[in-house]
Amino acid sequence: MRGKLLQQDLVAGLAVVAAAAFAWWLARKLPGGAGGGMGPGTLPKGLAVLLGLLGALLAASSFLEREGLRLRRWSLRGPLFILGALVVFGLAVRPLGLSVAGPLAIVVAAFASDEVRWGETLVFGVLMTAFCIGLFKFGLGLPIPLAPWLLGY
Amino acid sequence: MEFLANLSLGFATALSPMNVFLAFVGCFVGTMVGVLPGVGPIATIAMLMPLTLKVDPTGALIMLAGIYYGAQYGGSTTAILLNIPGEVTAVVTALDGHEMAKKGQAGAALGIAALGSFFAGTVATLIIAAIGAPLTRLALLFGPAEYFGLMVFGLGLAIVLARGSVLKAVIMVVLGLLLSTVGTDLETGQDRLTLGIGELSDGVDFAVLAMGVFGIAEILRNLENPESRSGAIAQIGRLLPTREELRRCFGPILRATGIGSVLGILPGNGAVLGPFASYAVEKKLARDPSRFGKGAIEGVAGPESANNAGAQTSFIPLLTLGIPPNAVMALMVGAMTIHGLIPGPQVMTKHPTLFWGMIASMWIGNLFLLIINLPLIGLWVRLLKVPYRLMFTTILVFCAIGIYSINNNPYDVYFTAFFGLAGYVFIKLGLEPAPMLLGFVLGRLMEEKLRQALALSEGSFMTFVERPVAAGLLVLAGAVMLIAVLPAVSRSREKAFQE
Amino acid sequence: MKRVLSLLVLSLVSGIAAAQPYPSRPVTIIVPFAAGGPTDIIARISGEYFSKALGQQFVVENVAGAGGTTGITRGAQAKPDGYTIMMGHMGTHGAAPALYANLKYDPAKDFTPIGLVAGTPILIVARKDFPAANLKEFIAKVKDPAAKVKQAHAGVGSVSFTTCTLLTSQLGAKSIVAAYRGTGPALNDLVGGQVDYMCDQIVNLVEQVKGGSIRAYAIATPQRSPALPDVPTTKEAGLPGYQVSAWNALFAPKGLPKEIHARLNDTLVKALDDDATRKRLLELGSVIPERAGRSPEALQKLVESEVARWNPILKPFAQQ
Repeated sequence: MRGKLLQQDLVAGLAVVAAAAFAWWLARKLPGGAGGGMGPGTLPKGLAVLLGLLGALLAASSFLEREGLRLRRWSLRGPLFILGALVVFGLAVRPLGLSVAGPLAIVVAAFASDEVRWGETLVFGVLMTAFCIGLFKFGLGLPIPLAPWLLGY
Repeated sequence: MEFLANLSLGFATALSPMNVFLAFVGCFVGTMVGVLPGVGPIATIAMLMPLTLKVDPTGALIMLAGIYYGAQYGGSTTAILLNIPGEVTAVVTALDGHEMAKKGQAGAALGIAALGSFFAGTVATLIIAAIGAPLTRLALLFGPAEYFGLMVFGLGLAIVLARGSVLKAVIMVVLGLLLSTVGTDLETGQDRLTLGIGELSDGVDFAVLAMGVFGIAEILRNLENPESRSGAIAQIGRLLPTREELRRCFGPILRATGIGSVLGILPGNGAVLGPFASYAVEKKLARDPSRFGKGAIEGVAGPESANNAGAQTSFIPLLTLGIPPNAVMALMVGAMTIHGLIPGPQVMTKHPTLFWGMIASMWIGNLFLLIINLPLIGLWVRLLKVPYRLMFTTILVFCAIGIYSINNNPYDVYFTAFFGLAGYVFIKLGLEPAPMLLGFVLGRLMEEKLRQALALSEGSFMTFVERPVAAGLLVLAGAVMLIAVLPAVSRSREKAFQE
Repeated sequence: MKRVLSLLVLSLVSGIAAAQPYPSRPVTIIVPFAAGGPTDIIARISGEYFSKALGQQFVVENVAGAGGTTGITRGAQAKPDGYTIMMGHMGTHGAAPALYANLKYDPAKDFTPIGLVAGTPILIVARKDFPAANLKEFIAKVKDPAAKVKQAHAGVGSVSFTTCTLLTSQLGAKSIVAAYRGTGPALNDLVGGQVDYMCDQIVNLVEQVKGGSIRAYAIATPQRSPALPDVPTTKEAGLPGYQVSAWNALFAPKGLPKEIHARLNDTLVKALDDDATRKRLLELGSVIPERAGRSPEALQKLVESEVARWNPILKPFAQQ
């Protein structure tokens, strides 16, 4: 039974049903059901119902398959640091500017891989940021903040 | 023949040393910027538009057009090499293109993309020159009901696109449709599914979605599985397609040019469907459809050609009616207006040198793309030899900057992270992102056209039956979906019988 | 010791920066709409003059979203040091309070008005075969429920939406309304004859009218536009109460120092007298305000009167 629980299709199907339920819940107050004419809520609700049905179908189909794909290992490290790096960049870019957000994001992202060598990454980070600054700020004239805390822009 | 006279006027203008130079600069800069992950054609044109302000109007437009094609091709390059599609049309290229890159055939993929685009561009230019104006009148017959039919047809194509199970593809399409409803409602201005987050009231941005679900997820996947990485890419191998491959791609390129050209003329972004339609057609026509999704070169040749053909012909509504068919063209309108040249029905008659000069330089631009990009293929492939542990941080930062620069809004970067997580979950659950992206793009258009059609018919669904083109397209859509679903149904019935 | 030194350096640097005359580095003009639209074009044209006159680059930053309110919110929250200004318009500083219940700024209180830049007159246009020879007949048709006249607009919150809503509310008429995502698709269906009429800024429509693919019934300004001299004004054609123009103006966040404020307004006044700038603005069909109308006080009055005007008309459409 445990093996069954870890089947890809089953988990996928259930996840889809959950997503559909969430969407339906978000759209619950919008006017417009299938009966009363089209409104802003018709399509979101209709699609949520459809999605839920399909998800259920997928989950059910996993019981018909004797040889289904099993769920593979999920890792925490990669997503945490890569997504973390993006979030850090977003938080830092306006108050601290590209000059800080760039290297910071690179350093955080580097934690995601165990192949990373620190000296190399730091040097690379600074060089990359300098290149980006040259390209995006001076070459293309993008209004991206450089170092508001130092230069004011 | 007026047609030849016009073309020669056009070439005379376009071949002036200044204009040739501008076309080259436009193509080059456009390609370089378009290659940056996260920076799609719209962002590229918006960024580079100020550069064109220093030149005369004709020259500026030629340069802008060059930037446009360059950005498109640069975007395809990123799609093939890094699996990051910067624009809707690059999504299909990424499917088989990236698979080819993983097998060490990046050079062939990039090469056929360049060659196919050039051919399609040439043909499309001729079409524009010969029958552009009368064709627009045909396109005006397309009202909201007809567009709705076309979009539903497109949805059917999305299902054919699937690599694996049809059920999962349909689920992803529906998910994409659902995502497209996030934002303010068109008719009432109410917020839908936005969780109260103000930044979502304009909906999810395509670039953010594509970047997260394709690009970021790809980075996550590569970090986990060093073996499945594009290690083979490091082998330079062939830089161009073989003769055999060229032969195989001839048919697809031809068909794709036709499909892309026709769809591109429809004002209202019909060009989006071109690559998807071409992919679906080639997959159905191929002797061994199972190759598609695993690196079939026809799966790159067709869509890229359709893409470029559509990109060219989408200038037609702009130049003949003065109405931009999509966001990129709207930028072009803005650029033209800044130069004092407001596009409209009279441009062709009042500014013939500009009009025909632009068309001629479109072809020249295509030529430059070929000349610029074929040698660059070697460079890109060599760049991929950089060890992944250094590359992935660079790609990430470029993506972050690119996404931020779309709207100068950090929230876009946060959403990209969220979609990156979603993409990772999809990979683990065996769900494919491509149909979802198509569903997302089509969803907005579809709902808009549906609501408009119903508003104009005062709520009557009969409008879809009464209008012949709309009805025809819906029937076609139904047929496509049946064709997509039937093999799967019969397969599962066989299995059931076997047990 | 190190701390004291670094503090010294920092204050020296910022002191130098502050002591230098304004502007000593590039200035950002926030345009709350996507690049290429009428407001963006006007901002870029005027920005060019400012760059030349003041010796520093005036760079446009497009921050689009929520009918322009996202960009304006960001501008309102910026430091009032003169290095971030914004291009607001009738929508963001007139109609927004009525349409958006959760608006994060008050157009009349949270800004330092610099001055009006240009207004884009509104045209009432219809598909070319519409069965009405002039504005009076058009109005009759629109008011007649049996005629089932169809209106197109570019989305709730857009100029075409607010101005057409004003029209129908003044006429006391109800049209069948179709919402589009942007001016392009709406105009497309107008040209194609799928819808009957639209109200939009002259910039978007001038070439179509000249080319004959759509017809214009009236322009909602006191004088005829030199770009379309054959189109009568609403006053001439029989609807004098319909006067509206999508005005565009420069604002700075509240609390701008007086000298910088004076400098910016002064440059703006000169920009609107400059031949090259005038020519490009007029080509678009814009209306350039007279000298008297270019003062910050005039702008403030305009904002207040616009907010008051749009409130009753647009409240029924307010977003939750």
